[in-house]
Amino acid sequence: MLDELRQTCRRLLQDGTVQAVIGYGRPSPEDPVVPVFITKPEDVDQLAWDDQCFANLVKYLLRKEVLSLGKLAVCVKGCDQRALLVLEKESQIDRSQIVVIGLACDGVGKPRLAKCASCDVHTPRQSDFVIGKANTPDAAATVAERYAELDAFLAKPPEERMAYWKKELSRCVKCYACRQVCPMCYCRQCIVDKNRPVSISTSATLKGNFAWHITRAFHLAGRCVGCDECTRACPAGIDLRLLNLSLAKAAEENFDYRSGMDPEKEPIIGAYSQQDHEEFIR
Amino acid sequence: MSELLDKTDLNRLVDAWLSEGRRVAGPQCVNAKDSRGQADRIQYAWLTKAEELRLDGFIRPTNSIKEFVFPRHEKLYGYQFKGKRLELTPAELPTTEQVVIGARPCDAAALKILDAVFNWDVKDEFYNRRRELTTVVTLACKEHDDFCFCTSVGSGPCDERGSDVLLIPIDGERYEVRCLTEKGKKLLAGATTASSEEATAPQGPPVRFNLDALGEFLAGGYDRPEWPEITRRCLGCGACAYTCPTCHCFDIVDEGSASGGARVRNWDACQFTMFTAHASGHNPRSDQSQRQRQRIHHKFQIYPDKFGELLCTGCGNCSRNCPVDMGVLPVLKTIAAKK
Repeated sequence: MLDELRQTCRRLLQDGTVQAVIGYGRPSPEDPVVPVFITKPEDVDQLAWDDQCFANLVKYLLRKEVLSLGKLAVCVKGCDQRALLVLEKESQIDRSQIVVIGLACDGVGKPRLAKCASCDVHTPRQSDFVIGKANTPDAAATVAERYAELDAFLAKPPEERMAYWKKELSRCVKCYACRQVCPMCYCRQCIVDKNRPVSISTSATLKGNFAWHITRAFHLAGRCVGCDECTRACPAGIDLRLLNLSLAKAAEENFDYRSGMDPEKEPIIGAYSQQDHEEFIR
Repeated sequence: MSELLDKTDLNRLVDAWLSEGRRVAGPQCVNAKDSRGQADRIQYAWLTKAEELRLDGFIRPTNSIKEFVFPRHEKLYGYQFKGKRLELTPAELPTTEQVVIGARPCDAAALKILDAVFNWDVKDEFYNRRRELTTVVTLACKEHDDFCFCTSVGSGPCDERGSDVLLIPIDGERYEVRCLTEKGKKLLAGATTASSEEATAPQGPPVRFNLDALGEFLAGGYDRPEWPEITRRCLGCGACAYTCPTCHCFDIVDEGSASGGARVRNWDACQFTMFTAHASGHNPRSDQSQRQRQRIHHKFQIYPDKFGELLCTGCGNCSRNCPVDMGVLPVLKTIAAKK
């Protein structure tokens, strides 16, 4: 699979289809897997593919430091590809200008990350190339299965849930790693960076932290694709996945919508219709 | 001759300090799932009982002890509008004595570095008061991981800088105790037993890069063309700075309503776009590579030029907490490889 990946990337660079490939790689064999930006065909041997390929590389399609490289190819896992679709729907990327290399994936992490347990996109869709073959069948996850973790949490009394969030969010230092890794966080000025006047307290106090995380969650409603990068990136180990699952469940239950899954469906927050049943929108 | 203390007595001491009204902070499991499915997440945090204290079974906490002398959020003073008058109320300075137990040497050494910053111009009364109230009991490191690089920046697993007491493990249950300051002696007075047994100094990680080569690279100019390539994967969050024991930048903001509020200082980080944004809209560090360059220059050139030592103790938290495995070490290794 790795050979196929390297050959594909070499060809894309050699024939000038792209100027850079965003992929996973080890700059030297003893290094951990990191995002790499391959610009020369002879460097494709740096590319790696294993269960340590965590990062959602789609984020880099929004970074000017990477866009400056020229036309790009990007390696995506099935879950990452969902972000690509949302960005396309939200007119943040020109899909025709990006070469998408899908990597069939059996899950990442040792043990597997939580998101991998209910994964039904082991093989990336809408990709220009799909490399490899997933050995894990896509989980025919029902709504109940997909949100089992959330439902277990929601079954607890409200006081207990509030105590949980107070304890967890008290550790937030507002490093904004959750925002920076998120492919859906592309506001030119994040609301927490608005300081004339201040919209959201910049203090990493319990109040300021609730304000940040609730706002962040609402901005992701119907948009978050569940790549769980925020949860992985959090240096305080806050399980933001729980908040995101809650939003995803609301979107699925009320609108029969899973973000980044169906290219035919318009985004529930971003789309406008004359037939909307809410009068205030019409 | 040496002084020894066993783990049970150490725990008893922690409980005694707590019952005497001191605040005690140390490594504990914060019960959060580790996102990479690894071990429990250990952070320095205030303890309510000795039982919560974790001294082994992990490399180092994912945060730093700077929080206890330089909190992430601190009120500087209050303000109240009274008609056309403005009334200022000074913030109360802390008065409670505190102990940091089980600090790592790379954390304790950072306190000396912070001392210099918070006293070179204005003597920061909040920082200094907390520092006076704090006794640091450090635990020498028996183990290291691939992120640790203390020995590459002139530190090591038994570095005594910044510590009031250094504990060196003899086995899983006993520690050799070295009281390094009067504060340390006072805290542990009568708690240890004399012995002829001495701990063997644990080994640190191998030296991972050549500091002199780095100095040459940095002295070679601010506009070196390598920076964008070296730093391209940085996503611009503050995880490195906020978990770094030596990073100390802060932002001062007013929080309140039309009738009054407080002037507070919050941690800030040089990797944020907003860090250098001018009111005009101009940003002298508009590119992530410029912000990364600043971080490395500050740690290995600007601070050393001013204060004579590095602004880095090699704890490795910047890489350990980086979502894309960057931080100081990979950057310096890349620079060294370019030489």
